[in-house]
Amino acid sequence: MISNTLKITVRTKATTTVNPSTQRVVNQLSALSASRKQPKLIKLSHEDLIKHNTIQNAWKSFTRKQETKRYQQLQQQYESIHNAMDTLKAISPSLYQMANKSDENNWYPLNMRVPTDYPANMPWVYNHKNQGKA
Amino acid sequence: MNRTRFFSTVSRLNRTGYSTVEPVHHLVPINKAALRPGLQELLLPKDDIRSPGYKPTNIGQDRVRDYYDAHLKSNLMLQLYIHGEETTDGNKHRSWGTDSPYKLYRKMRKPKGLSRATKDIKPIAPKNIPELTGININLYNREALEDSWLNISSRLQIAQITNVKPKRIFNKSNIVQWKCREGKPCGCKVHLTGEDMHQFLSTLTELVLPRIRTFQGISKKSGDHNGNISFGLSPEDIKFFPEIENFQELFPNLFGFHITLQTSARTDEQARLLLSSLGFPFH
Repeated sequence: MISNTLKITVRTKATTTVNPSTQRVVNQLSALSASRKQPKLIKLSHEDLIKHNTIQNAWKSFTRKQETKRYQQLQQQYESIHNAMDTLKAISPSLYQMANKSDENNWYPLNMRVPTDYPANMPWVYNHKNQGKA
Repeated sequence: MNRTRFFSTVSRLNRTGYSTVEPVHHLVPINKAALRPGLQELLLPKDDIRSPGYKPTNIGQDRVRDYYDAHLKSNLMLQLYIHGEETTDGNKHRSWGTDSPYKLYRKMRKPKGLSRATKDIKPIAPKNIPELTGININLYNREALEDSWLNISSRLQIAQITNVKPKRIFNKSNIVQWKCREGKPCGCKVHLTGEDMHQFLSTLTELVLPRIRTFQGISKKSGDHNGNISFGLSPEDIKFFPEIENFQELFPNLFGFHITLQTSARTDEQARLLLSSLGFPFH
């Protein structure tokens, strides 16, 4: 008897039956939406902020130095290519013509890979034969 | 009837308060509400760690970037160098002439032959070695015109693959036969740069494209004459992305999309050479 009255008087959570395919779409939408995914703002003390900025500045100057070094190297390579071609032109015009052909359509082979931290067990195929271009 | 007009002096005296701020007549409209001190922290640049929009960068090694910088750049410069090359003018929009005042403000004449203008091709130098600048992914979802909830699936699919939240795209015109309505959402797009771009590129070239049986390579004819090359993937190919492959029951509907590889190369030939060095086959 008591349980019956409870059933009538106490409000329980409404049970709505949602189609499983509808539920999937709802889940997909909640995965996309930004709510509750934004991490909390880091509250840094003044000292921590100075530390952070120092590290950032050091990293920036390090990368800038690296970039200028790379660019200088490229510049030097470019100059040496230019000088070599100038010399070749003076020494042997026929070889110069052969060397100065456009090499745009000579694609890189597919076997050439971006290096990885953990290369394959057999990193190099010694008796490899390239089948045509690419 | 006398209709003389009186200027009221009473209303000004009856007002409860008056502004203490001197009226300043800005030539540029300024949103004063945005200048209040509570919003000062929102004015911080996004690379400042105190900003709410701060996102850490350089959180890992970018091996495609490293490979390009260390090896490919100098190789490409050597390969593309032509001695004594001069700047080739691109196909530009032309003027109609100056002999008539009517021609002065007329819209420029179309470029010769091609309908689209092309840029000047400068000789190769350390400054302008071709580089991958971005990857554009465009997913037009035709099925979503009937079932609009499929837009959500397509957006989640792209977000899952690329790690970037995609933007919605909308129909631009009314075409009755295709059930297109202006302003109706119909898929999504995303523009990848930096680490996300390199991550997507290595997934594509190492895990997805080698496993597509029918894939022979990107078509040689693909390209927009300005060094951007595009190709498409069908819904069957999408299964090979590891982010989708391992959660197949969560993605019952898969959609193909178009990928545009944007490069700083001035011609399609140079762009193809660059992409072949990054592991894309051509046929």
